[in-house]
Amino acid sequence: MTMTGRCLCGAVRFEADGVPHEVGACHCDMCRRWTGGPNFAVEAEAVRFEGAQNIGRYCSSAWAERGFCKVCGANLFYRLIDTGRYFLAPGTFDDQSGFKMTTEVFIDEKPGYYTFADETSKMTGAEVFAKYAPKQDG
Amino acid sequence: MPGRTGQCLCGAVHYSAEWVRDEVGACHCGQCRRWAGGPFLPVATKGVHFEGEENLGRYRSSDWAERGFCKKCGSSLFYRRLDSDAYMMSAGCLDDQSGLEFARQVFIDEKPDWYDFAQKTETYTGADFFARNPQRKGGES
Repeated sequence: MTMTGRCLCGAVRFEADGVPHEVGACHCDMCRRWTGGPNFAVEAEAVRFEGAQNIGRYCSSAWAERGFCKVCGANLFYRLIDTGRYFLAPGTFDDQSGFKMTTEVFIDEKPGYYTFADETSKMTGAEVFAKYAPKQDG
Repeated sequence: MPGRTGQCLCGAVHYSAEWVRDEVGACHCGQCRRWAGGPFLPVATKGVHFEGEENLGRYRSSDWAERGFCKKCGSSLFYRRLDSDAYMMSAGCLDDQSGLEFARQVFIDEKPDWYDFAQKTETYTGADFFARNPQRKGGES
């Protein structure tokens, strides 16, 4: 099913296919600097952007970049460079009714002032790196 | 209260500010979620001083407010009422986040079902918010 979304100002719009409705939250320091809180993400199989000229891309590590709207500053996506996979911000979707938070990563970097009540599987940063790649820093 | 410092992800924008309270709020409104990707978690500050201001983008999201972000990395830095020097700075950009208490949630009626905070806080609906801030209307923040 194709899902649609946009940034706050509407300068960037997208259509996404293969969105599993499972939201992950990352509590790492980098993600929190970027969004201001945990970074929420839903993985998409394919994404088509409208207004792509308004997308800013920042390489935050050797293997990933983060996309934002250059007009309003909305946080749009985290993308793995080698696979091209997009992890889109759930808050930008037009219909968020089917989403459910299922995982939390870098739980060891979560600050004390917030906690989610949702039942999720939780991984530390070390567990994430051990599972996915021999890499440092998200 | 002592000043604190913060910066965006890439470091192109730094700031120092004075805390109004050691409290974090959450806004669940549709605009904040479009902007931050999820709820916006601000800390109220005053006397903000920016370094790297040439890298600071400002977007007018309503007649009475603007949102600031880093033009290099896209970090969401603040929400500010135009008639005030009280910057609502993103909690995640603060260098020292110790001692912060999660105190209130606003636009709780716009919160989607996919997350819930465990903390017991004061909660306000959008109608509560506009009743307390009658100059802001139209359902936009």
